Amino acid sequence: MSVADRIRDGDGTLAAVAGVAAVVLALLFAVSPFTVGLPGELSVFVEVGVLFGLYVILVLGLDLQYGHTGLVNFGHVVFFAVGAYTAAILAAQDSFAGTSLGYPWPLALVAGVLVAAVVGAVVGATSLRLRDDFLAIATLATAEIFHTVTVNFSGTFGGSTGIFGVPQPVAAVAGDFGKTMLATLVLFLGLAALTYAIVTRLTTAPYGRVLRAIRADELVTRSVGKSTFRYKMQAFVYGAALAGFAGGLFALYNGAVAPSFFTIQVTVTVWIGMLLGGASNHRAVIGGLAVIMGLRLFSRFANDLAPVTSGEFASLRLIVVGMILVLVIRYRPAGIWGDAEELGVDS
Amino acid sequence: MTLLDIVDLEKEFGGLLAVDDLSLSVDRGELVGVMGPNGAGKSTLFNCVSGVVEPTDGTVAFDGEDVTGEQPEVLARRGLVRTFQHTRQLGTMTVRENVRLAAPDQAGERTLPALTRSQGMQETERRVVERADELVEAFELDHLADEYASNLSGGQRKLLELARVLMLDPDLLLLDEPFAGVNPTLTNDIADRIRALNDEGMTVVVIEHELETLTALVDRLVVLTQGSVLVDGDPETVLEDERVVEAYLGE
Repeated sequence: MSVADRIRDGDGTLAAVAGVAAVVLALLFAVSPFTVGLPGELSVFVEVGVLFGLYVILVLGLDLQYGHTGLVNFGHVVFFAVGAYTAAILAAQDSFAGTSLGYPWPLALVAGVLVAAVVGAVVGATSLRLRDDFLAIATLATAEIFHTVTVNFSGTFGGSTGIFGVPQPVAAVAGDFGKTMLATLVLFLGLAALTYAIVTRLTTAPYGRVLRAIRADELVTRSVGKSTFRYKMQAFVYGAALAGFAGGLFALYNGAVAPSFFTIQVTVTVWIGMLLGGASNHRAVIGGLAVIMGLRLFSRFANDLAPVTSGEFASLRLIVVGMILVLVIRYRPAGIWGDAEELGVDS
Repeated sequence: MTLLDIVDLEKEFGGLLAVDDLSLSVDRGELVGVMGPNGAGKSTLFNCVSGVVEPTDGTVAFDGEDVTGEQPEVLARRGLVRTFQHTRQLGTMTVRENVRLAAPDQAGERTLPALTRSQGMQETERRVVERADELVEAFELDHLADEYASNLSGGQRKLLELARVLMLDPDLLLLDEPFAGVNPTLTNDIADRIRALNDEGMTVVVIEHELETLTALVDRLVVLTQGSVLVDGDPETVLEDERVVEAYLGE
């Protein structure tokens, strides 16, 4: 029996162990009496690293939906936002805008995941039976609608101010800023590793084979007895729930949510990361995300050297990112680490 | 004993009657050929029976139960399995994976057993792997087992499709033009395999254009024209029937 014949879960198990270790380490560090001063120059790296951990969770959900099942979800940010707002509204205390209910944060985090999953189920139930491209439009529209709702229903969502006063459990335990940031970084990277382990386990099992078959040809998959709609729903809802989890974590890390955190920029970043790395390969999509977020980080420093304002520089950066994507699609259509034959693209 | 019973089947596509008041029944263990000129409704008949399209009128009964308009996946699980005229392979998956996919009752295709890697699921998967390898070997595709299916030739795709549906161990196998675009040697090979399956007890219905192969292969031949049955009988009688000659050669 060759290696490929065995059910592969080697690196899934490794990631699970690493993930648990990181989470435990982060929590121990947070409650420990040690303190660290985080130098100003380093804090920007840690900040981006924390976001990277959350985005890894986002991109893994998207890779389950698009990379494996072929579902085009152009509104991934909405599930991230729903998770964040749900957690914020439930857990926040005395926010001066919007609703704050002051429930315990673990409850709020769980609710964030559940509500995002429910929104995913509703969008899926209405759109997944339609042609593929309808899902793209429906998800894009859902994201836009939710954004408008958060801005305008200010009694509930706090309008463009958003919701403040969300508890920050890590900060509450760790105390000072540097220690909080480091503990959060390790915690989020650990949770991202755990997500990787779970998603890998799912997609290397016969379950993943059915998902990839749906992407290849749904009718064939049905004609050999698989209820493809159920799988599409599941993949979509799992992706949404993961995004909701990332959203809840974001709210509890940031201490506040506002519409400006949940723009189409989030969707664009995870999509570009996934395509750049190579869809349907979990490691590749994380790699692609690292490239795109690394680029953004280093371009901040480049801005100091360039004779333009930061606003102008942001636009230039978008152009550069676009050009990189064009080059990748032209020369490596399956992504940097992707397999062209597995994705069915000509290279 | 009747396995498949089609009564007064009708399928209309925007005013065009593709299948018109068609009745046909197939007994368990039979090997039936369905032929007819282009547009006679052969593929539409298969599509209606296998649940790919819903018939406008009429009923389809399989193994004594009404399955009219049932979904393809439900029919496949019950034992009614089909292939496609234009071979549909899962091009982005390997030959091995194509065959393994079709395995029925794999608990690992559900979320929790997949995550927990339950003992039962591992055991099933071992059997699936074994059975799939046997089929791949039986169809002489073993040298291509790890090749992506999109790289196969037309004939190899036909073989792969057969290997894949056999994974389901169907009671009734509907083959839509299994010899289309296949060279004469392979045509004979595929015909032998179909014959062997039937000898082992599988009920098979074959749609085909090519007269010679089909008449030599089947026990019973059904000729369709304009969406309904023209002649139904043993191959020799059918071929001598004047209406068949007319339908094929024109007046």
